[in-house]
Amino acid sequence: MKVSLEINGQAVETEVSAALRLSRFLRDVLGLTGVKEGCCEGECGACTVLLDGKPINSCLMLTFQAAGREVTTVEGLDGSSGLQDAFLQLGAVQCGYCTPGMLVAAEGLLLDKSSPSEAEIRHALAGNICRCTGFETIVQAVAAHAATREGACR
Amino acid sequence: MNQLSRRVPLVDGVAKVTGALRFTADLDVEGLLHGALVLSTHPHARVARVDPAAALAVEGVHEVFWHGNTPAHLYNSSIWFSGQKALADEQMFPQVVRHIGDRVAAVIADTEEIARRAARLIEVDYVDVPTIFDPEVALGHAGLPLRQDDTPTFLSPVAGETFVYGDPEAGFAAADLIVETRVTTPRSHHCAVETHACIARPEPDGRILVLSPCQSVFAVQAVVGQALSLPSEKIRVQKTPIGGSFGGKAEPILDPLCAFFALKLNRPVIIRYDRQETFTATRTRSSVTGRMRIGLKSDGRILARETETLVDIGAYCTGGNYLPSSMLQRLVRLYDVPAERYSGRAVYTNTVPAGAFRGYGSPQIHTIAEISLDIAARRMGMDPVALRQRNLVGPGAIEPWQGLDLGNARGRECLARGAEAFSWVGRRQRGVGRGRWRRGVGVASATHINGCYPGFHEETTASLRLLPDGRAELICALHDLGCGADTTLAQIAAETLGLRACDIVIVPADTDTCPYDLGTRASRMTYICGEAIRRAGVSLARSVRAAAGLELNTPADDLRLEAGTVRRRDDAGIALPDLAARLASRGIELPAATESYRAQANPGSYAAHFAEVEVDRLTGRVMVTDYLAAHDVGRAINPMLVEGQIHGGVQIGIGYALYEDVAIDLATGRMRGDSFSRYTLANAPEMPPLRVLLVEEGEPTGPFGAKAIGEIATIPVAAAVVNAVNDALGTELTELPLSPERVLAAID
Repeated sequence: MKVSLEINGQAVETEVSAALRLSRFLRDVLGLTGVKEGCCEGECGACTVLLDGKPINSCLMLTFQAAGREVTTVEGLDGSSGLQDAFLQLGAVQCGYCTPGMLVAAEGLLLDKSSPSEAEIRHALAGNICRCTGFETIVQAVAAHAATREGACR
Repeated sequence: MNQLSRRVPLVDGVAKVTGALRFTADLDVEGLLHGALVLSTHPHARVARVDPAAALAVEGVHEVFWHGNTPAHLYNSSIWFSGQKALADEQMFPQVVRHIGDRVAAVIADTEEIARRAARLIEVDYVDVPTIFDPEVALGHAGLPLRQDDTPTFLSPVAGETFVYGDPEAGFAAADLIVETRVTTPRSHHCAVETHACIARPEPDGRILVLSPCQSVFAVQAVVGQALSLPSEKIRVQKTPIGGSFGGKAEPILDPLCAFFALKLNRPVIIRYDRQETFTATRTRSSVTGRMRIGLKSDGRILARETETLVDIGAYCTGGNYLPSSMLQRLVRLYDVPAERYSGRAVYTNTVPAGAFRGYGSPQIHTIAEISLDIAARRMGMDPVALRQRNLVGPGAIEPWQGLDLGNARGRECLARGAEAFSWVGRRQRGVGRGRWRRGVGVASATHINGCYPGFHEETTASLRLLPDGRAELICALHDLGCGADTTLAQIAAETLGLRACDIVIVPADTDTCPYDLGTRASRMTYICGEAIRRAGVSLARSVRAAAGLELNTPADDLRLEAGTVRRRDDAGIALPDLAARLASRGIELPAATESYRAQANPGSYAAHFAEVEVDRLTGRVMVTDYLAAHDVGRAINPMLVEGQIHGGVQIGIGYALYEDVAIDLATGRMRGDSFSRYTLANAPEMPPLRVLLVEEGEPTGPFGAKAIGEIATIPVAAAVVNAVNDALGTELTELPLSPERVLAAID
């Protein structure tokens, strides 16, 4: 079936099978391999993308269900925003496999709430498994970046 | 001299935060075929018939493999060098499957979807044979002929270790209190977010190239060689980026299969496990039942200790035969116990094989010992910190088993400074509270090794050479598992050369281009590889100064390397790229140095962890509300990465204490916790705030004084948490994980 959607700011029109999961479409068809698959049942969050600005598990969505919507993957994050740099500088990255999904989930939180509390950050990342960092520096990086972004807005 | 003790971000970090880093499943390989496995649904059975016809009829399927058309060579997936003696009991596709998840067949097809769809069409007939799921039962069935052809499948125990030191009987006779405990630790799973994957590609010269997210390219080469009966020189292995391992990817599992299929079909082949396959068909941490008897003087001095361990290593030996002795090795490094008796046995069961998992026996034995010691403290009314402090070893202690010097052992400082920072005394005085929610605090000490000395090949070789652009290239078969080893080791090299960590170009591990190394295991990266690299760096710096001496008309001894420049005492100097250019113009090879380092010691790393918990007496739910980890690391080359190791270790340890268990059903052998929805981890909301305190007293044998952190980070955690729960409830819970059911049963 024919599907039109916007991915990382670019219009994409393509023919896909009805059963094609969005995560597979992004990875296999578009080559956006920053989207990872860690469980394919919506538990690990490695495949997190933004759908119209809201974080979702792209492994649980079929490609055609995203028709007419805007999808943002880690490749589409604004590198200059500083979130990625905060992850790097504060040691919120180790093996890097959960990192793209974690960054996208954090970005989704910050789009919704510019200065989240620590508990809100932890809650927002509850669907993203990281086995390396204990989440400590991830929470710190999101909070630190939120503070900078908030400062820049005023 | 400014690269040490610095919070340098990961040298490969930008590729990670932008999503640009390509893991194995992300690689573009031309003509790649995809494999999918058929895994046994029976726990112990002879595979009587495999009918591939329906699968072969699917369009896009290239071949179906099973025991009828693959080599039956026996191998052991835990070996780390070719020719290593080890009990070889694995086969690519065994005729008798030994656990649910054992390999029955594989389909190779144009896409993963086709391969998986076709795999479901393969018909398999199983003839069941008797099963053993319980390790205690396994001991009782030692030597029974269980295989269909009357040869023994299971000869238990597969390995054992006994040790007696001093006079335990006299010690117990003199004791004022004798405490006896039985502690059980669960089968936990690594849960690296990247599932297992491997690519093999036939090369034009007839060799096979294996691209593997592994912990040692040489181990992969050895295992593939044994499984395929191929000489090492026919197999080239390159390490790909690894999305977490924790020991789970230490043993090559898919690699022999991919290599065989690729050679057979003359096409590159990838196999990528899904999550359930990664749970049921790779490795877990072994479960251990530990019985401990401790005799103490009323002042808290341990007089004698007796330990019995029973290790469930699952369906294949792999490295499980080492577990009884490795647990002993770590047990005797912590306390000064004048009389010790130890007996450990490892047994087979019809369950997923056990393997390496962050500490290789250490988490199990220290969990058993530290929970037991806490029960002793409570029964004798002594502060658990004081009891530990009374018995901990100190610097220069010699452990009784191998007679090794434990080096600058600073477990006492970890305990004292940690207790102070955690306000241990104050929190204990506050009490557990009344009513539904109870609060408790717990402590646990731990120790771990630094490398494999005096075991096999504890030696590595590092080469550094000056590049034309003034940077330095490092060759040392390094396998960074995500812990930041590359960054730490680049800091060590850079420190010796007056460069920055980002100026060190690390050549990825490759059996063709790197000298042999054991790989990332046994907490050896910083301590062993770091020392080899430091020595190579010192040696290269000497050559660079000698070469620059001619250019600067100054004796080499009067030169120093600083910020990418060789400087004289009057600060005149030559930048390294300029030096390289001048040498090149005169036809002189750029300076290079190679150093081999053979370990002469195996000091202990030490830690003390402190946990505060809140227990809901109504639901049995435990929340860890505060946490402090004090670690003796000698010296932190990169404090940020050291803290990161500890943070991650605590997450794994909290899961070990409270949630994580693959939960093999003792009636059916089925794994209940075989997905992330049924295997619970501590996620962001469950994690307490974490504080880290580093004790940096320097280890004389370590590079710039550094010792290991990777594995010890997780070792004391479970005991600290369980001890806190027992403190909160006044219980003696010893069966892990502390599920709500177990907690409720204990307080009823």
